Amino acid sequence: MQISRIGWKTVQFSLAIIFIFLSWWVLALLLDTPAFPPPLPAFASFFHSLQGDLLLHLRISLYRVLASLILAATLAIPAGLFLGKNPRLDQYIAPVIYLTYPIPKVVFLPVLLILLGIGDLSKVVLIALIVFYQILVTTRDASRNLQTEYILSIKSLGANSKELYQHVYLPGCLPAILTSLRLGLGTAMAVLFLTETYATSTGIGYFIMYSWSSLAYDKMFAGIIAMGLMGFFLYILIDGCERYFCSWLNP
Amino acid sequence: MTYLDIQSLQVDFLQQNKSHNVLNDVNLQLPQGKIGVIIGPSGCGKSTLLNVLANLNQEYRGRVSINGQLPLEHIGTALILQDYGLLPWKNVWNNIQLGLEIRKIAKEETKTRIEAILKKMGIADLKKRYPAQLSGGQKQRVAIARSLVLEPELLLMDEPFSSLDALNREEMQDILMQIWQETNLTILLITHSIEEAVFLGQKIFVMSACPGTIIKTFDNQIAGDYSSRGKVEFLDMCNTLRSYLRKES
Ligand SMILES: Nc1ncnc2c1ncn2[C@@H]1O[C@H](COP(=O)(O)OP(=O)(O)OP(=O)(O)O)[C@@H](O)[C@H]1O
Ligand SMILES: [Mg+2]
Repeated sequence: MQISRIGWKTVQFSLAIIFIFLSWWVLALLLDTPAFPPPLPAFASFFHSLQGDLLLHLRISLYRVLASLILAATLAIPAGLFLGKNPRLDQYIAPVIYLTYPIPKVVFLPVLLILLGIGDLSKVVLIALIVFYQILVTTRDASRNLQTEYILSIKSLGANSKELYQHVYLPGCLPAILTSLRLGLGTAMAVLFLTETYATSTGIGYFIMYSWSSLAYDKMFAGIIAMGLMGFFLYILIDGCERYFCSWLNP
Repeated sequence: MTYLDIQSLQVDFLQQNKSHNVLNDVNLQLPQGKIGVIIGPSGCGKSTLLNVLANLNQEYRGRVSINGQLPLEHIGTALILQDYGLLPWKNVWNNIQLGLEIRKIAKEETKTRIEAILKKMGIADLKKRYPAQLSGGQKQRVAIARSLVLEPELLLMDEPFSSLDALNREEMQDILMQIWQETNLTILLITHSIEEAVFLGQKIFVMSACPGTIIKTFDNQIAGDYSSRGKVEFLDMCNTLRSYLRKES
């Protein structure tokens, strides 16, 4: 039963991969342009570029996106749990969040560049700022909607505030938190690309745009593949966390 | 003074900025080591009363004393909630362990106590399961185990067996009587079932509709007597209770 389930998963994923590569190949044939090479040459160029400076850019981009996700999560998760647990305080904070949430924070990029310089800090802060809101709102709502019987039953065992967070709020909100991280990852990658196309000479975003402007389409596509694979592996990482920490969801 | 002593208890809730009287002038006395049963119409404030005793609600008026202490001071109280209150993200073992962890009981002792209670409740095979993988009756056993493992003095149970089928319910009632006979436990239990009240309650408290108050207290001699189930005295007692409850609803 267990083995056949894993076997079935493998078949499904193999089929999906074949489908993606086939569509890519057909599209490349139809478009017939050096800007959109078929899978084989594209991957050949990717592995070739890895031996050059692509790996360096990849490392820098990975650092930027991980740093911002960690920064956003460490600030947003405790704040969200706290606001959800204390509705009286949330009453005053909620309108502030509501009014600032829809503002597209990317427009602050120039301001951050002036304030924090053109180094990594301004990029990390911008990505973190955007992802922070997503995690904060999701965590707060999950924390606010936790069933009261869980809270009461632990209180009746004599739990203090710290134990309530440890045993009820954090584990109870973790599925929602991981979902928001997954969504946040997509946003983070998009904003990362944007920040790396201005005033910098490092990162995959830069690598892609530089290759484009110098008409090195094979290198450009190698960068696109690198960016895609990075997003994919981070996604798997979050998925793994969910499987490990929320095993109770699918016992 | 009686072990559990409630005098002129009053609880009000704010609902849409209006104060709503839920418990009014509740008086209840239960001696140590006895089983008391509260029965009354839905929404009359039974759960609210238990919450006050379990120190989950400190906003009450009147006098509540458990063994001479306020609910806040009395640490030997255990509460089993209406819907069990098991944490879905902890397995059976960890759910039971939680209270011991909070009370900072040593590891070794924790282990022996949990193993003993798992065996007693007949759920040793389930210790690695999560609540979602348990039947209603199994969840109920885990909830009882989680309370008893703390070796409480006073056990509060909010409609513990209401969601069980008839056979499971009688089995759980028997287990409860057995535990009670082995320990010096004082039990206060809420039920909707007249038969359950008569079988378990040495003292039966009948509550009125909202705002709830105790309208009648019965001393019930046949409680815990297995042979009495179905006999004339048993049915008589049930009928008396039923007529009191009819008047209320
Ligand atoms: N936290 C609360 N805030 C406001 N009103 C409440 C609160 N808890 C309970 N009430 C109200 O108090 C009344 C009594 O509730 P309670 O849960 O004590 O009833 P009950 O006797 O246990 O009912 P049931 O038999 O259905 O479980 C109800 O009208 C309910 O709406
Ligand atoms: Mg109730």
